[in-house]
Amino acid sequence: MRARRFGTLIGLLLLCAALWILTPHFLTVSNLLNIVQQTSINAIVAAGMTFVIISAGIDLSVGSIVAWSGVVLGAMLQAGQPAAIAVPAALLAGVGCGLINGLLVSIGRLPPFIATLGMMSVARGAALVFTEGRPVSGFSEGFRWIATGSLGFVPAPVLVMLIVYAIAHFALTRTTFGRYVYAIGGNEEATRLSGVAVRFHKTAVYAVSGLMSAVAAIVLTARLNSAQPIAGMMSELDAIAATVIGGTSLLGGEGSVGGTLIGALIMGVLRNGLNLLGVSSFLQQIVIGVVIVVAVLVDTTLKRHRT
Amino acid sequence: MNTARPVLEMRGIRKSFPGVVALAGVDLTLHAGEVHMLLGENGAGKSTLMKILSGAYRKDRGEIRIHSRVVDITSPRDALDLGIRVIYQELNLVPQLSVAENIFLGAAPILMPGVVDRRRLSTMAKTLLADLGMNLDAGAQLAELSLAQRQMVEIARALRDFESRNTGEAPILVMDEPTSALTAREVDQLFVLIERLVANGVALVYITHRLDEVYRIGKRVTVLRDGANVATKLLAEVTVDELVRLMANRDLSEQYPRRRTVPGADLLTVEGVGRHDVLHDISFTLRAGEVVGVAGLLGAGRSELARVLAGADRADTGRIICKGQPVVLRSPADAIDIGIGLLPEDRKAEGLVAGLTVARNVALPHGRRLSTGGYLRDQVEERFAAPVVGDLRVKATPTQEVRVLSGGNQQKVVLAKWLAGAARIFIFDEPTRGVDVGAKVEIYQLINRLTEEGAAVLMISSDLPELLGMSDRILVMRGGRIQAAFDADQATQQRVLSAAFGLSGVTH
Repeated sequence: MRARRFGTLIGLLLLCAALWILTPHFLTVSNLLNIVQQTSINAIVAAGMTFVIISAGIDLSVGSIVAWSGVVLGAMLQAGQPAAIAVPAALLAGVGCGLINGLLVSIGRLPPFIATLGMMSVARGAALVFTEGRPVSGFSEGFRWIATGSLGFVPAPVLVMLIVYAIAHFALTRTTFGRYVYAIGGNEEATRLSGVAVRFHKTAVYAVSGLMSAVAAIVLTARLNSAQPIAGMMSELDAIAATVIGGTSLLGGEGSVGGTLIGALIMGVLRNGLNLLGVSSFLQQIVIGVVIVVAVLVDTTLKRHRT
Repeated sequence: MNTARPVLEMRGIRKSFPGVVALAGVDLTLHAGEVHMLLGENGAGKSTLMKILSGAYRKDRGEIRIHSRVVDITSPRDALDLGIRVIYQELNLVPQLSVAENIFLGAAPILMPGVVDRRRLSTMAKTLLADLGMNLDAGAQLAELSLAQRQMVEIARALRDFESRNTGEAPILVMDEPTSALTAREVDQLFVLIERLVANGVALVYITHRLDEVYRIGKRVTVLRDGANVATKLLAEVTVDELVRLMANRDLSEQYPRRRTVPGADLLTVEGVGRHDVLHDISFTLRAGEVVGVAGLLGAGRSELARVLAGADRADTGRIICKGQPVVLRSPADAIDIGIGLLPEDRKAEGLVAGLTVARNVALPHGRRLSTGGYLRDQVEERFAAPVVGDLRVKATPTQEVRVLSGGNQQKVVLAKWLAGAARIFIFDEPTRGVDVGAKVEIYQLINRLTEEGAAVLMISSDLPELLGMSDRILVMRGGRIQAAFDADQATQQRVLSAAFGLSGVTH
């Protein structure tokens, strides 16, 4: 597992080296900070996705939950609520969606694909109905610090991302919850027969994913100074891609958030580099698709040779 | 014996994986019309050798000749083209299709491209089944068949495929523990079929852990140990004791070393337990220091009983009493709380998380106890698991992934899960299935130790000699009921079997 994460890291470094040679604009402090900042939102969503995928599930609703939590946040801020109330409310909105996903999967025994596909549509629709399809904008400077501020040279969104990853890594490697997530993804029935409360932990996994989407929504809303009901479109695919490039198996039972962070950075660097090189956004889509497939192909081939 | 040229010669086959030499130059010679037993403990290299033959692995070195021609098997396709067929345990059939359709899968007779000639398909299948002496309905859907019958379909398909090539040369069949899920009667049927096959010139490599089978159908035997040949002999010239010694390189003085203890207090009383269609009115008591064996045919309700007692499924009726208190088992956690540990029949599917380490598997049921407020470090689990893993002589370190262990060692890891905790009531569902001779005896000795320490064991087994040898009492199940109960000294193979088949209805 460690060796594979190393492989992804080498991939990231090679990519950076290539861009460094190809364009002088890549390796500058401001550009690198820019990449990390842009990556942070996808990375935060992907951290939650990693929990779900390790448990052998999938969460297609993350992008819609980003939009839904965002508009809840925006509406409350615009109505004059302080951030200290609006932010927890947004987090609750995200966790609520995640909980419903989790209950549908664990108690309702729906396939995760179906349960979260439904939520993807419902949460998006809720955001559109709630805002009548219009963005909600204009927030206080205090709130916007989440996007514009910095601690030393570390921009606030990057700080949020690092905190999220530190907690997620701790949860996965140092807690019983993390153990059970891996165990459920590896063999749900054996885990249940070992006395683990499988349904509870499966529900919790989707709640974590919903929570992460809400955190990402807060950063995004602050950065855009606007909550968009169409925010986070297709971001479920970016999150899944980052997770999978990072070496987490879609079959469940293995993976790490460290890998996911590298996966998200690879995608961020790639987008940034292609922009710097003047590659058209149409062509970019092709390149990114190819990179995802090749990364996973290399990963599974290596895995096959190992056993 | 056959003096003609051998059908298959494997010479000096070497294969290593990172860190291990699986085969260090193994030879195997196979003649037409013989059943060649391939024996060895788990990890001796039997499966690796067969995987090289079937093209699943590539050999590092060595030579394979088929009908005296040197061949290069680089893929499963090559092996098929050379007339090599492996009958897998996880059968490669389509449950939704009929017997005939399965046998002619990918080779069905057609009326025009894309349209199957169903009538001809049916007659061809019937002819083939009759030729093989298989009493199977060609039109039956595969999903309706028993495991044994599916195995026959698989064999029929392998032979059909070979016939259609029509090279006139003897086909090579490999069977890897084909009887592990079969009842005694089904085993008999399979052996009759095997005899017919070899009489027709098929060369068969047969892998098993059951020594009685070796003598029933084998002609010659090759014993492997630690990836090397130990001996190839005619079975007429070798005794069971010698075989066991060759495999394990040690004497196994007693096959079933049960040490009986005087039963103590009642640990678990089951009263009239039922579960809709699968269990009816089950009553018995498990006392400290006792091994209660459960016999019965496949589908008699034995595993269902184990699952109810382990909290995996819920009982609809009846009571379960533990230490004088009625208990309700709503989930496996409830069963674990009162000290019940289950060693499931299918350890891969129900006992282990293959991708996790040994330590994590052992610690899995004990997470709440090991952690402080949910905080749990790897080292805590490793320190928790290490003594039990060492005690059971699991050939692995606590940080190894379970998936790389051999069957016997995996079984020990499942045991370690419960031994590490406070379990007092052990439910062993087929504890020695697929486990080699040496590891079997270790499991028996462990059962002795558990009962001497005051635990009770409910042992479900399809291996009758083992059940008779290890149990203090035997319950025989049939149709979800306890058909009969015997004390060890009254139980004989015949009495247990006739109760299992419903031929006598003596209840206690």
